[in-house]
Amino acid sequence: VVLVDLSISLPAQVVDHYENPRNVGSLDKTSKNVGTGLVGAPACGDVMKLQIQVDEKGKIVDAKFKTFGCGSAIASSSLATEWVKGKTVEEALTIKNTDIAKELCLPPVKLHCSMLAEDAIKAALADYKLKQEPKKGEAEKT
Amino acid sequence: MLLRTASRRVASAVLVTPVPRAKAPTRGLRLRVVDHASQSAVPPDAVTAPEAESVLRPLYMDVQATTPLDPRVLDAMLPYLVNYYGNPHSRTHAYGWESEAAMERARQQVASLIGADPREIIFTSGATESNNIAIKELEAAIRPDTSLVSVMTVNNEIGVKQPIAEIGRICSSKKVYFHTDAAQAVGKIPLDVNDMKIDLMSISGHKIYGPKGVGAIYIRRRPRVRVEALQSGGGQERGMRSGTVPTPLVVGLGAACEVAQQEMEYDHRRISKLAERLIQKIMQSLPDVVMNGDPEHHYPGCINLSFAYVEGESLLMALKDVALSSGSACTSASLEPSYVLRAIGTDEDLAHSSIRFGIGRFTTEEEVDYTVEKCIHHVKRLREMSPLWEMVQDGIDLKSIKWTQH
Repeated sequence: VVLVDLSISLPAQVVDHYENPRNVGSLDKTSKNVGTGLVGAPACGDVMKLQIQVDEKGKIVDAKFKTFGCGSAIASSSLATEWVKGKTVEEALTIKNTDIAKELCLPPVKLHCSMLAEDAIKAALADYKLKQEPKKGEAEKT
Repeated sequence: MLLRTASRRVASAVLVTPVPRAKAPTRGLRLRVVDHASQSAVPPDAVTAPEAESVLRPLYMDVQATTPLDPRVLDAMLPYLVNYYGNPHSRTHAYGWESEAAMERARQQVASLIGADPREIIFTSGATESNNIAIKELEAAIRPDTSLVSVMTVNNEIGVKQPIAEIGRICSSKKVYFHTDAAQAVGKIPLDVNDMKIDLMSISGHKIYGPKGVGAIYIRRRPRVRVEALQSGGGQERGMRSGTVPTPLVVGLGAACEVAQQEMEYDHRRISKLAERLIQKIMQSLPDVVMNGDPEHHYPGCINLSFAYVEGESLLMALKDVALSSGSACTSASLEPSYVLRAIGTDEDLAHSSIRFGIGRFTTEEEVDYTVEKCIHHVKRLREMSPLWEMVQDGIDLKSIKWTQH
C-alpha cells in the first residue's frame, strides 16, 4: 500500500468529499417541493448550486449540489447537503458557516467557501418558501 | 538516479558516480524513503530510530517553478563543496587560487551561452537580485532623459516568447537601455546579447537545472552600461556586487549553462514533441479547452490551458499525484487570479480554470501520458460536478445570467 502525503496542503476531509462524492447531482427544479439556490459568480471562481427536496411535513428529505470552485468550496457545499438532510426547513436555517469550516478544518484563507455554502443553503430555502406561496401577494424577500 | 532512492545511510555518504541522463522512474511515480530526521545535522541513534516508511511522490510537471539539479551539475559542484573549499578572493594560497580559477571558468561558461564577454557577467544570488540591480540602474542614469525598457524573454506562466531582437533594435536606435529577465529562456532558446542588442540580462540558476541561490546579471561593456550596486562591502565582482562569490554554486551555474548549450537543440526538439503530444491528446478528448498565449511565439515547455467550467485548484487537488500549478485565484495568496491571463484579455472565469503544465529535460513520455490520462478523467468528473457545465449542456448562455454578488 502506498500513500501520497497531501496532509501538508489539504485537509483529508476536503479531499474526501471529492474522491467519495455524496449528493452530487440535480433535482427537478420545476417541482414545487424543490428549492434551488444558485450563489457565487464564475468571475469569482466560485459558483454553488444547492437543491433541497422537502416533504409535506416541512422536512428536507433529499439534497443535491453542484459546484464550480476549489476543493474547499466543493467540500463545503457537499457537507452542506449532508447536514440539511433530515432537518426541517427552520432547522436548516441555523446551519452556520463557522460550523462547516470547523468540520472541514478550513484555513482562514478558505473561510469564504464555507460562507458561500451557508448562502447556498439559505438561497435554496428561500426559493422553496417562495414556491409555497405562489399567488398570495408579495413574495418573501430572499 | 543519484539521490531519488537513497536510504538514510546512503544519503549521508558522498556519491560521485557520474550518471549521463536520469532514468525514467517506474510508472511515473518516484519512490523515496520519507525520513525528516535526516535533515538534522546530528545523526540520530540508529537503535532507537523509527522504521522509515515508503512514500510515492508526485510526478514533477512544474519546471517553471524550479528544476531538479542535472546530475552532471551536481558532479561539477561536489568537489567544491567537499574538497576545494577555498574563498575565491583569497590571493595568498592554493585554496584561493583554485577556487578563483573555478569561478572564472564558470563565468566563461555563462558568457558563452549568451554570446557575452566573461567580463560582462556578475554573479548574484538569483534573477530577482539581478532584476533589482538592473532596475536600480535608472537612478544611476548618465543623462536626465535616459530610460530603461525591461521585458521578460519567455513568460513563466504562459510560455510566450517576446520579440527580443526587435525590441533590442528599437531601444538601441532610441538610445534607451534594454534589460531582459531571461530566467525562463537561458539555455532553452538561443540568445545572443549582441545580435539582440541586450544591455542587461538576468539569469537564474535553478530554472536551468542548476542550484538554487545563485544567478547572474549580464551588464554590457560596450557601450558601457553603468549600474549601482545593491549591496556594498569588500568590492567583489568589480564592485557591483560585494560578498564572497559562492564557488560551489557558481560552478553549478556554469556547469548548468555548459550542459544547456550542449543539450539545447535536442531538449527543444524532444520537449516540443512531448508538448505537442500533451496538447493534442487533451484537445482531442475534451471540448472547451483553451490554450493561453500566442501559439506561434511560444516556448513549448510551458503549456497553460484553461478547462472551461472547471476551477483550477479543484483540478490540481484531483490530480494529486502530479505536481502542477494554476493561475486561479485560490492558488495565490492574494486570491487574485493570474495578472498575466488578465493582461492577455482572458475571461475571468477562464483565468480561474487555468492549469500550467511544465515539460523539461527529464520529463518522460510516460509521465506526459499519465498526466494527460488523469487530466482527461478528472476534468470530465469535475464537469459532471459543475453547475456551469450543466447549464451549458442545457443550452443556457452563461453570460446572460445575473450572478449573485459576493
